[in-house]
Amino acid sequence: MQWRIIKAFAIAAAAMALWEAVVRLDLVSQIILAAPSHIVLAAAQDGGVFLHAFATTSIEIGAAIVIAWTLGIVLGVVAGSSHTLAAATAPVLSSIFAIPLIILYPLLMAWLGIGPLSKVVFGVLSGFFPIALNTIDGVRAIERRYLVFARSIGATKFQTYARIIFPLALPAMISGLRVGTGLVVIGVVVTEMLASLGGIGYLISYHRTLFNTGHVYFGIMLALVMSVAVNIGLTWLDRRIGLWRMREQAEG
Amino acid sequence: MPVIEVSKLGKDFSAGRARVRALADVSFSVEEGQFVTLVGPSGCGKSTLLQILAGLIAATSGEARIEGERICAPMPDKIGMVFQDPTLLPWKTALANVEFPLDLRGIDRTARRKRCAALLELVGLSEFADHYPHELSGGMRQRVAIARGLAQDPRLILMDEPFAALDEQTRTRMGHDLLDIWAKTGKTVFFITHSLTEAIYLSDVVLVMSPRPGQVIDTIAIDFPRPREVDIIGSEAFGRIRNRIWHLIAEAPA
Repeated sequence: MQWRIIKAFAIAAAAMALWEAVVRLDLVSQIILAAPSHIVLAAAQDGGVFLHAFATTSIEIGAAIVIAWTLGIVLGVVAGSSHTLAAATAPVLSSIFAIPLIILYPLLMAWLGIGPLSKVVFGVLSGFFPIALNTIDGVRAIERRYLVFARSIGATKFQTYARIIFPLALPAMISGLRVGTGLVVIGVVVTEMLASLGGIGYLISYHRTLFNTGHVYFGIMLALVMSVAVNIGLTWLDRRIGLWRMREQAEG
Repeated sequence: MPVIEVSKLGKDFSAGRARVRALADVSFSVEEGQFVTLVGPSGCGKSTLLQILAGLIAATSGEARIEGERICAPMPDKIGMVFQDPTLLPWKTALANVEFPLDLRGIDRTARRKRCAALLELVGLSEFADHYPHELSGGMRQRVAIARGLAQDPRLILMDEPFAALDEQTRTRMGHDLLDIWAKTGKTVFFITHSLTEAIYLSDVVLVMSPRPGQVIDTIAIDFPRPREVDIIGSEAFGRIRNRIWHLIAEAPA
Protein backbone atom coordinates (compact mmCIF):
# COMPACT_ATOMS: atom_id res chain seq x y z
CA MET A 1 0.00 0.00 0.00
CA GLN A 2 2.61 2.50 1.16
CA TRP A 3 4.95 1.20 -1.46
CA ARG A 4 2.44 2.22 -4.11
CA ILE A 5 2.26 5.76 -2.79
CA ILE A 6 6.04 6.01 -2.77
CA LYS A 7 6.12 4.71 -6.31
CA ALA A 8 3.53 7.24 -7.44
CA PHE A 9 5.54 10.08 -5.89
CA ALA A 10 8.72 8.80 -7.47
CA ILE A 11 7.13 8.74 -10.90
CA ALA A 12 5.73 12.25 -10.44
CA ALA A 13 9.11 13.54 -9.25
CA ALA A 14 10.86 11.92 -12.20
CA ALA A 15 8.38 13.46 -14.64
CA MET A 16 8.92 16.89 -13.05
CA ALA A 17 12.67 16.50 -13.27
CA LEU A 18 12.44 15.50 -16.91
CA TRP A 19 10.12 18.43 -17.60
CA GLU A 20 12.54 20.81 -15.85
CA ALA A 21 15.49 19.36 -17.77
CA VAL A 22 13.80 19.63 -21.15
CA VAL A 23 13.32 23.37 -20.60
CA ARG A 24 16.69 24.01 -18.95
CA LEU A 25 18.56 22.28 -21.77
CA ASP A 26 16.67 24.47 -24.25
CA LEU A 27 15.18 21.49 -26.02
CA VAL A 28 11.91 23.42 -26.03
CA SER A 29 11.62 27.20 -26.02
CA GLN A 30 10.75 28.74 -22.64
CA ILE A 31 8.01 30.71 -24.34
CA ILE A 32 6.21 27.52 -25.27
CA LEU A 33 6.88 25.46 -22.18
CA ALA A 34 7.50 26.83 -18.70
CA ALA A 35 9.63 24.72 -16.38
CA PRO A 36 8.11 23.68 -13.04
CA SER A 37 10.54 26.07 -11.34
CA HIS A 38 9.16 28.94 -13.43
CA ILE A 39 5.66 28.15 -12.27
CA VAL A 40 6.75 28.07 -8.65
CA LEU A 41 8.57 31.33 -9.19
CA ALA A 42 5.46 32.92 -10.70
CA ALA A 43 3.42 31.74 -7.71
CA ALA A 44 6.00 33.20 -5.32
CA GLN A 45 6.18 36.52 -7.17
CA ASP A 46 2.49 37.15 -7.82
CA GLY A 47 0.70 34.66 -5.58
CA GLY A 48 -1.37 37.40 -3.95
CA VAL A 49 -2.55 38.79 -7.27
CA PHE A 50 -3.47 35.32 -8.49
CA LEU A 51 -5.28 34.51 -5.27
CA HIS A 52 -7.33 37.67 -5.61
CA ALA A 53 -8.12 36.78 -9.24
CA PHE A 54 -9.02 33.26 -8.17
CA ALA A 55 -11.53 34.69 -5.69
CA THR A 56 -13.02 37.01 -8.32
CA THR A 57 -13.48 34.20 -10.82
CA SER A 58 -14.85 31.82 -8.18
CA ILE A 59 -17.47 34.36 -7.14
CA GLU A 60 -18.45 34.99 -10.77
CA ILE A 61 -18.72 31.27 -11.45
CA GLY A 62 -20.61 30.63 -8.21
CA ALA A 63 -23.13 33.38 -8.94
CA ALA A 64 -23.58 32.23 -12.53
CA ILE A 65 -24.11 28.61 -11.43
CA VAL A 66 -26.78 29.56 -8.89
CA ILE A 67 -28.63 31.75 -11.40
CA ALA A 68 -28.31 29.30 -14.31
CA TRP A 69 -29.57 26.39 -12.19
CA THR A 70 -32.47 28.35 -10.77
CA LEU A 71 -33.60 29.81 -14.09
CA GLY A 72 -33.05 26.58 -15.99
CA ILE A 73 -34.87 24.39 -13.49
CA VAL A 74 -37.78 26.76 -12.88
CA LEU A 75 -38.35 27.41 -16.57
CA GLY A 76 -37.84 23.74 -17.35
CA VAL A 77 -40.39 22.58 -14.79
CA VAL A 78 -42.95 25.20 -15.80
CA ALA A 79 -42.55 24.57 -19.54
CA GLY A 80 -42.34 20.81 -19.05
CA SER A 81 -45.63 20.68 -17.16
CA SER A 82 -47.63 21.88 -20.13
CA HIS A 83 -47.68 20.03 -23.40
CA THR A 84 -48.28 23.24 -25.37
CA LEU A 85 -45.65 25.25 -23.54
CA ALA A 86 -43.08 22.47 -23.96
CA ALA A 87 -43.85 22.20 -27.68
CA ALA A 88 -43.48 25.97 -28.03
CA THR A 89 -40.29 26.47 -26.00
CA ALA A 90 -38.17 23.36 -26.50
CA PRO A 91 -37.41 23.90 -30.22
CA VAL A 92 -36.58 27.58 -29.60
CA LEU A 93 -34.30 26.75 -26.68
CA SER A 94 -32.49 24.01 -28.57
CA SER A 95 -31.91 26.23 -31.60
CA ILE A 96 -30.47 28.97 -29.40
CA PHE A 97 -28.33 26.33 -27.69
CA ALA A 98 -26.87 25.47 -31.10
CA ILE A 99 -25.62 29.05 -31.63
CA PRO A 100 -22.01 29.78 -30.57
CA LEU A 101 -23.15 32.23 -27.90
CA ILE A 102 -19.74 33.89 -27.73
CA ILE A 103 -20.75 35.95 -30.79
CA LEU A 104 -23.15 37.77 -28.48
CA TYR A 105 -20.44 38.75 -26.02
CA PRO A 106 -19.53 42.06 -27.73
CA LEU A 107 -23.16 43.10 -27.25
CA LEU A 108 -23.15 42.06 -23.60
CA MET A 109 -19.98 44.06 -23.13
CA ALA A 110 -21.59 47.11 -24.66
CA TRP A 111 -24.66 46.73 -22.44
CA LEU A 112 -23.06 45.69 -19.17
CA GLY A 113 -19.45 46.86 -19.38
CA ILE A 114 -16.35 44.70 -19.04
CA GLY A 115 -16.71 44.12 -15.29
CA PRO A 116 -17.86 40.96 -13.50
CA LEU A 117 -21.55 41.50 -14.38
CA SER A 118 -21.02 40.73 -18.07
CA LYS A 119 -19.07 37.57 -17.09
CA VAL A 120 -21.83 36.34 -14.82
CA VAL A 121 -24.52 37.03 -17.42
CA PHE A 122 -22.53 35.26 -20.12
CA GLY A 123 -21.90 32.34 -17.77
CA VAL A 124 -25.64 32.08 -17.09
CA LEU A 125 -26.39 32.22 -20.82
CA SER A 126 -23.90 29.43 -21.45
CA GLY A 127 -25.28 27.09 -18.83
CA PHE A 128 -28.99 27.86 -18.92
CA PHE A 129 -30.03 26.12 -22.13
CA PRO A 130 -28.90 22.54 -21.50
CA ILE A 131 -30.29 22.73 -17.96
CA ALA A 132 -33.68 24.00 -19.13
CA LEU A 133 -33.87 21.52 -22.02
CA ASN A 134 -33.06 18.49 -19.89
CA THR A 135 -35.47 19.60 -17.20
CA ILE A 136 -38.25 19.93 -19.77
CA ASP A 137 -37.48 16.42 -21.03
CA GLY A 138 -37.40 15.07 -17.48
CA VAL A 139 -40.77 16.54 -16.58
CA ARG A 140 -42.35 15.50 -19.89
CA ALA A 141 -41.23 11.92 -19.26
CA ILE A 142 -43.13 11.60 -15.97
CA GLU A 143 -45.92 9.10 -16.35
CA ARG A 144 -49.48 10.30 -15.90
CA ARG A 145 -50.15 7.72 -13.18
CA TYR A 146 -48.01 9.71 -10.74
CA LEU A 147 -50.14 12.80 -11.31
CA VAL A 148 -53.36 10.81 -10.91
CA PHE A 149 -51.95 9.41 -7.69
CA ALA A 150 -51.07 12.92 -6.48
CA ARG A 151 -54.64 14.11 -7.07
CA SER A 152 -56.14 11.06 -5.43
CA ILE A 153 -54.32 11.70 -2.15
CA GLY A 154 -55.32 15.36 -2.22
CA ALA A 155 -51.86 16.82 -2.88
CA THR A 156 -51.87 20.58 -3.48
CA LYS A 157 -50.39 21.95 -6.68
CA PHE A 158 -47.27 23.05 -4.86
CA GLN A 159 -46.88 19.66 -3.16
CA THR A 160 -47.31 17.90 -6.49
CA TYR A 161 -44.49 19.95 -8.00
CA ALA A 162 -42.15 19.93 -5.01
CA ARG A 163 -42.67 16.40 -3.69
CA ILE A 164 -43.50 14.39 -6.82
CA ILE A 165 -42.70 16.09 -10.14
CA PHE A 166 -39.38 17.65 -9.12
CA PRO A 167 -37.81 14.53 -7.61
CA LEU A 168 -39.08 12.37 -10.48
CA ALA A 169 -37.46 14.73 -13.01
CA LEU A 170 -34.22 14.99 -11.04
CA PRO A 171 -32.33 12.12 -12.71
CA ALA A 172 -32.91 13.70 -16.15
CA MET A 173 -32.09 17.14 -14.77
CA ILE A 174 -28.70 16.03 -13.51
CA SER A 175 -27.35 15.39 -17.00
CA GLY A 176 -28.38 18.92 -17.94
CA LEU A 177 -26.71 20.23 -14.81
CA ARG A 178 -23.48 18.43 -15.67
CA VAL A 179 -23.28 19.89 -19.16
CA GLY A 180 -24.62 23.29 -18.13
CA THR A 181 -22.32 23.79 -15.16
CA GLY A 182 -19.28 22.89 -17.23
CA LEU A 183 -20.36 25.48 -19.78
CA VAL A 184 -20.78 28.12 -17.05
CA VAL A 185 -17.14 27.67 -16.02
CA ILE A 186 -15.97 27.86 -19.61
CA GLY A 187 -18.15 30.90 -20.32
CA VAL A 188 -16.85 32.89 -17.37
CA VAL A 189 -13.17 32.12 -17.96
CA VAL A 190 -13.34 32.69 -21.72
CA THR A 191 -15.02 36.08 -21.39
CA GLU A 192 -12.46 37.08 -18.78
CA MET A 193 -9.80 36.31 -21.37
CA LEU A 194 -11.54 38.36 -24.05
CA ALA A 195 -11.88 41.62 -22.18
CA SER A 196 -11.93 42.29 -18.48
CA LEU A 197 -10.35 43.92 -15.44
CA GLY A 198 -9.69 40.88 -13.30
CA GLY A 199 -10.02 37.16 -12.79
CA ILE A 200 -7.95 34.14 -13.71
CA GLY A 201 -8.80 34.35 -17.40
CA TYR A 202 -7.66 37.96 -17.44
CA LEU A 203 -4.31 37.10 -15.81
CA ILE A 204 -3.67 34.21 -18.21
CA SER A 205 -4.36 36.44 -21.17
CA TYR A 206 -2.36 39.37 -19.74
CA HIS A 207 0.75 37.35 -18.99
CA ARG A 208 0.57 35.60 -22.33
CA THR A 209 0.95 38.93 -24.11
CA LEU A 210 4.05 39.60 -21.95
CA PHE A 211 5.44 36.12 -22.66
CA ASN A 212 5.47 35.36 -18.90
CA THR A 213 4.99 31.69 -19.62
CA GLY A 214 5.42 30.67 -15.97
CA HIS A 215 2.56 32.95 -14.96
CA VAL A 216 0.40 31.64 -17.79
CA TYR A 217 0.95 28.07 -16.64
CA PHE A 218 0.20 28.98 -13.05
CA GLY A 219 -3.06 30.62 -14.16
CA ILE A 220 -4.00 27.57 -16.18
CA MET A 221 -3.39 25.37 -13.16
CA LEU A 222 -5.68 27.52 -11.03
CA ALA A 223 -8.40 27.37 -13.70
CA LEU A 224 -8.01 23.58 -13.71
CA VAL A 225 -8.41 23.50 -9.93
CA MET A 226 -11.73 25.30 -10.36
CA SER A 227 -13.00 22.90 -13.01
CA VAL A 228 -11.95 19.91 -10.94
CA ALA A 229 -13.72 21.30 -7.85
CA VAL A 230 -16.93 21.89 -9.81
CA ASN A 231 -16.68 18.41 -11.28
CA ILE A 232 -16.21 16.80 -7.88
CA GLY A 233 -19.33 18.59 -6.64
CA LEU A 234 -21.33 17.38 -9.64
CA THR A 235 -20.11 13.82 -9.30
CA TRP A 236 -21.17 13.80 -5.67
CA LEU A 237 -24.62 15.08 -6.66
CA ASP A 238 -24.85 12.61 -9.51
CA ARG A 239 -24.00 9.73 -7.23
CA ARG A 240 -26.66 10.71 -4.71
CA ILE A 241 -29.27 11.04 -7.41
CA GLY A 242 -27.90 8.09 -9.36
CA LEU A 243 -28.74 5.92 -6.38
CA TRP A 244 -32.43 6.27 -6.90
CA ARG A 245 -32.19 6.47 -10.63
CA MET A 246 -31.34 2.78 -10.25
CA ARG A 247 -34.24 2.30 -7.93
CA GLU A 248 -36.56 3.91 -10.41
CA GLN A 249 -35.36 1.66 -13.21
CA ALA A 250 -35.93 -1.33 -11.01
CA GLU A 251 -39.49 -0.25 -10.38
CA GLY A 252 -40.16 0.74 -14.02
CA MET B 1 -76.94 5.57 4.09
CA PRO B 2 -75.09 3.71 1.33
CA VAL B 3 -71.38 4.43 1.03
CA ILE B 4 -71.60 4.67 -2.74
CA GLU B 5 -74.77 5.72 -4.48
CA VAL B 6 -74.78 5.99 -8.25
CA SER B 7 -77.88 6.96 -10.18
CA LYS B 8 -78.37 7.20 -13.92
CA LEU B 9 -74.73 8.00 -14.43
CA GLY B 10 -73.62 8.69 -18.00
CA LYS B 11 -70.30 9.67 -19.52
CA ASP B 12 -69.57 10.74 -23.09
CA PHE B 13 -66.14 11.27 -24.56
CA SER B 14 -65.50 13.19 -27.72
CA ALA B 15 -63.12 11.34 -29.98
CA GLY B 16 -62.39 13.72 -32.84
CA ARG B 17 -65.78 14.70 -34.21
CA ALA B 18 -67.57 11.63 -32.92
CA ARG B 19 -68.99 11.31 -29.44
CA VAL B 20 -68.43 8.02 -27.71
CA ARG B 21 -70.81 6.91 -25.02
CA ALA B 22 -68.63 5.27 -22.35
CA LEU B 23 -71.28 4.88 -19.67
CA ALA B 24 -75.06 4.95 -19.99
CA ASP B 25 -77.57 4.99 -17.20
CA VAL B 26 -75.45 3.26 -14.59
CA SER B 27 -77.19 2.87 -11.23
CA PHE B 28 -76.19 0.88 -8.16
CA SER B 29 -75.34 1.35 -4.54
CA VAL B 30 -72.81 -0.12 -2.14
CA GLU B 31 -73.53 -0.51 1.56
CA GLU B 32 -71.08 0.10 4.35
CA GLY B 33 -68.64 -2.75 4.90
CA GLN B 34 -69.49 -4.53 1.66
CA PHE B 35 -66.99 -5.93 -0.80
CA VAL B 36 -68.41 -5.12 -4.21
CA THR B 37 -66.73 -5.94 -7.49
CA LEU B 38 -67.41 -4.53 -10.89
CA VAL B 39 -66.56 -7.02 -13.59
CA GLY B 40 -66.61 -6.64 -17.33
CA PRO B 41 -64.51 -7.00 -20.48
CA SER B 42 -61.71 -4.57 -21.30
CA GLY B 43 -62.98 -1.27 -22.60
CA CYS B 44 -66.44 -1.54 -21.04
CA GLY B 45 -66.02 1.66 -19.08
CA LYS B 46 -65.05 0.13 -15.71
CA SER B 47 -62.10 2.43 -15.24
CA THR B 48 -64.12 5.44 -16.38
CA LEU B 49 -66.66 4.68 -13.68
CA LEU B 50 -63.95 4.32 -11.08
CA GLN B 51 -62.37 7.62 -12.08
CA ILE B 52 -65.73 9.34 -11.68
CA LEU B 53 -66.14 7.81 -8.22
CA ALA B 54 -62.62 8.95 -7.35
CA GLY B 55 -63.48 12.50 -8.38
CA LEU B 56 -60.78 12.49 -11.06
CA ILE B 57 -63.17 13.09 -13.97
CA ALA B 58 -66.70 14.47 -14.11
CA ALA B 59 -69.78 12.58 -15.29
CA THR B 60 -71.78 13.88 -18.24
CA SER B 61 -75.14 13.07 -16.70
CA GLY B 62 -76.63 11.56 -13.59
CA GLU B 63 -74.92 11.71 -10.24
CA ALA B 64 -72.69 9.81 -7.88
CA ARG B 65 -72.49 10.26 -4.12
CA ILE B 66 -70.02 9.05 -1.54
CA GLU B 67 -71.43 8.90 1.98
CA GLY B 68 -74.22 11.15 0.77
CA GLU B 69 -71.89 13.79 -0.60
CA ARG B 70 -71.97 14.55 -4.29
CA ILE B 71 -68.60 13.88 -5.89
CA CYS B 72 -66.96 16.83 -7.61
CA ALA B 73 -63.32 16.48 -6.58
CA PRO B 74 -61.08 13.81 -5.03
CA MET B 75 -61.97 13.10 -1.40
CA PRO B 76 -58.75 11.73 0.09
CA ASP B 77 -60.15 11.50 3.61
CA LYS B 78 -63.10 9.42 2.43
CA ILE B 79 -61.57 7.35 -0.35
CA GLY B 80 -58.32 5.40 -0.47
CA MET B 81 -57.17 4.35 -3.91
CA VAL B 82 -55.12 1.43 -5.18
CA PHE B 83 -54.19 1.41 -8.84
CA GLN B 84 -53.11 -1.36 -11.19
CA ASP B 85 -49.58 -0.03 -10.96
CA PRO B 86 -48.44 0.48 -7.35
CA THR B 87 -47.04 3.93 -8.31
CA LEU B 88 -44.69 4.02 -5.34
CA LEU B 89 -42.14 6.82 -5.10
CA PRO B 90 -38.81 5.15 -5.96
CA TRP B 91 -36.70 7.28 -3.63
CA LYS B 92 -38.77 6.46 -0.56
CA THR B 93 -38.74 3.34 1.57
CA ALA B 94 -41.84 1.18 1.94
CA LEU B 95 -42.69 2.87 5.24
CA ALA B 96 -42.09 6.37 3.86
CA ASN B 97 -44.33 5.56 0.90
CA VAL B 98 -47.15 4.55 3.23
CA GLU B 99 -46.57 7.70 5.25
CA PHE B 100 -46.51 9.97 2.22
CA PRO B 101 -50.22 10.95 2.14
CA LEU B 102 -50.11 11.76 5.87
CA ASP B 103 -46.83 13.60 5.43
CA LEU B 104 -48.49 15.87 2.83
CA ARG B 105 -51.28 16.61 5.27
CA GLY B 106 -48.74 17.75 7.82
CA ILE B 107 -49.36 14.98 10.33
CA ASP B 108 -46.72 14.76 13.00
CA ARG B 109 -43.90 12.35 12.25
CA THR B 110 -44.14 10.09 15.29
CA ALA B 111 -47.91 9.76 15.02
CA ARG B 112 -47.85 8.87 11.35
CA ARG B 113 -44.89 6.54 11.74
CA LYS B 114 -46.68 4.53 14.40
CA ARG B 115 -49.86 4.33 12.39
CA CYS B 116 -48.10 3.39 9.14
CA ALA B 117 -45.88 0.77 10.76
CA ALA B 118 -49.09 -0.89 11.97
CA LEU B 119 -50.49 -0.77 8.44
CA LEU B 120 -47.34 -2.37 7.05
CA GLU B 121 -47.78 -5.09 9.63
CA LEU B 122 -51.38 -5.54 8.54
CA VAL B 123 -50.27 -6.19 4.96
CA GLY B 124 -47.50 -8.50 6.20
CA LEU B 125 -44.49 -6.32 5.38
CA SER B 126 -43.15 -5.28 8.79
CA GLU B 127 -39.75 -6.68 7.97
CA PHE B 128 -39.56 -4.71 4.74
CA ALA B 129 -40.32 -1.25 6.16
CA ASP B 130 -36.86 0.05 5.26
CA HIS B 131 -36.70 -1.49 1.80
CA TYR B 132 -36.96 0.58 -1.33
CA PRO B 133 -39.53 -0.29 -4.01
CA HIS B 134 -36.88 -1.77 -6.31
CA GLU B 135 -35.96 -4.22 -3.56
CA LEU B 136 -39.53 -5.54 -3.33
CA SER B 137 -41.39 -8.02 -5.52
CA GLY B 138 -44.41 -6.96 -7.56
CA GLY B 139 -46.80 -8.40 -4.98
CA MET B 140 -44.98 -6.68 -2.13
CA ARG B 141 -45.15 -3.34 -3.89
CA GLN B 142 -48.87 -3.73 -4.30
CA ARG B 143 -49.14 -4.54 -0.58
CA VAL B 144 -47.34 -1.28 0.17
CA ALA B 145 -49.82 0.50 -2.13
CA ILE B 146 -52.72 -1.09 -0.23
CA ALA B 147 -51.26 0.04 3.10
CA ARG B 148 -50.82 3.52 1.63
CA GLY B 149 -54.45 3.50 0.47
CA LEU B 150 -55.46 2.82 4.07
CA ALA B 151 -53.18 5.52 5.51
CA GLN B 152 -55.71 8.33 5.69
CA ASP B 153 -58.19 5.92 7.29
CA PRO B 154 -60.90 6.29 4.64
CA ARG B 155 -64.05 4.22 4.96
CA LEU B 156 -63.99 3.31 1.29
CA ILE B 157 -61.19 1.75 -0.77
CA LEU B 158 -61.38 1.92 -4.57
CA MET B 159 -59.23 -0.67 -6.32
CA ASP B 160 -58.62 -0.53 -10.05
CA GLU B 161 -57.48 -3.99 -11.21
CA PRO B 162 -54.82 -3.99 -8.48
CA PHE B 163 -53.62 -7.54 -9.14
CA ALA B 164 -53.83 -7.57 -12.93
CA ALA B 165 -50.07 -7.25 -13.40
CA LEU B 166 -49.21 -10.11 -11.04
CA ASP B 167 -48.67 -13.77 -11.84
CA GLU B 168 -51.53 -16.10 -11.06
CA GLN B 169 -50.22 -17.64 -7.83
CA THR B 170 -49.32 -14.25 -6.39
CA ARG B 171 -52.66 -12.91 -7.54
CA THR B 172 -54.63 -15.63 -5.78
CA ARG B 173 -52.65 -15.12 -2.62
CA MET B 174 -53.08 -11.37 -2.73
CA GLY B 175 -56.84 -11.85 -3.08
CA HIS B 176 -56.89 -14.13 -0.08
CA ASP B 177 -54.85 -11.69 1.99
CA LEU B 178 -56.96 -8.77 0.84
CA LEU B 179 -60.04 -10.50 2.26
CA ASP B 180 -58.17 -10.85 5.51
CA ILE B 181 -57.27 -7.14 5.55
CA TRP B 182 -60.84 -6.25 4.65
CA ALA B 183 -62.20 -8.38 7.50
CA LYS B 184 -59.79 -6.82 10.00
CA THR B 185 -60.38 -3.21 8.99
CA GLY B 186 -64.10 -3.33 8.20
CA LYS B 187 -63.62 -1.03 5.20
CA THR B 188 -65.97 -0.87 2.26
CA VAL B 189 -64.21 -2.08 -0.88
CA PHE B 190 -65.17 -1.29 -4.45
CA PHE B 191 -63.03 -3.46 -6.69
CA ILE B 192 -62.62 -3.57 -10.44
CA THR B 193 -61.38 -6.57 -12.35
CA HIS B 194 -61.83 -8.43 -15.60
CA SER B 195 -61.24 -11.77 -13.90
CA LEU B 196 -64.52 -13.53 -13.16
CA THR B 197 -62.86 -15.91 -10.71
CA GLU B 198 -61.33 -13.07 -8.74
CA ALA B 199 -64.64 -11.20 -8.69
CA ILE B 200 -66.66 -14.14 -7.37
CA TYR B 201 -64.05 -15.28 -4.88
CA LEU B 202 -63.68 -11.84 -3.29
CA SER B 203 -67.11 -10.28 -3.35
CA ASP B 204 -70.39 -9.98 -1.53
CA VAL B 205 -71.89 -8.55 -4.69
CA VAL B 206 -70.70 -8.70 -8.29
CA LEU B 207 -71.87 -6.01 -10.69
CA VAL B 208 -71.69 -7.24 -14.27
CA MET B 209 -70.97 -4.63 -16.90
CA SER B 210 -71.47 -4.77 -20.64
CA PRO B 211 -69.51 -2.62 -23.07
CA ARG B 212 -70.41 0.22 -25.43
CA PRO B 213 -72.08 1.88 -23.75
CA GLY B 214 -71.08 0.60 -20.33
CA GLN B 215 -74.11 -0.54 -18.41
CA VAL B 216 -74.65 -2.65 -15.32
CA ILE B 217 -76.57 -5.59 -16.76
CA ASP B 218 -76.84 -7.70 -13.62
CA THR B 219 -76.20 -7.62 -9.90
CA ILE B 220 -75.27 -10.97 -8.43
CA ALA B 221 -75.13 -11.64 -4.69
CA ILE B 222 -72.40 -14.12 -3.77
CA ASP B 223 -73.23 -15.91 -0.55
CA PHE B 224 -70.35 -18.26 0.05
CA PRO B 225 -69.69 -18.19 3.78
CA ARG B 226 -66.72 -16.24 5.09
CA PRO B 227 -63.89 -16.54 5.79
CA ARG B 228 -63.44 -18.06 2.38
CA GLU B 229 -60.72 -20.47 1.40
CA VAL B 230 -59.21 -20.60 -2.06
CA ASP B 231 -60.66 -24.14 -2.46
CA ILE B 232 -64.15 -22.80 -3.17
CA ILE B 233 -62.93 -21.69 -6.60
CA GLY B 234 -63.01 -25.34 -7.68
CA SER B 235 -66.50 -26.02 -6.33
CA GLU B 236 -69.53 -26.70 -8.48
CA ALA B 237 -71.51 -23.78 -7.08
CA PHE B 238 -68.62 -21.46 -7.92
CA GLY B 239 -68.52 -22.80 -11.49
CA ARG B 240 -72.25 -22.22 -11.92
CA ILE B 241 -71.96 -18.58 -10.95
CA ARG B 242 -69.01 -18.11 -13.23
CA ASN B 243 -70.87 -19.64 -16.16
CA ARG B 244 -73.81 -17.42 -15.48
CA ILE B 245 -71.68 -14.26 -15.54
CA TRP B 246 -69.78 -15.50 -18.55
CA HIS B 247 -73.01 -15.93 -20.54
CA LEU B 248 -74.26 -12.53 -19.46
CA ILE B 249 -71.12 -10.90 -20.83
CA ALA B 250 -70.88 -13.11 -23.90
CA GLU B 251 -74.48 -12.46 -24.92
CA ALA B 252 -74.30 -8.72 -24.46
CA PRO B 253 -73.80 -6.95 -27.80
CA ALA B 254 -70.08 -6.36 -28.12
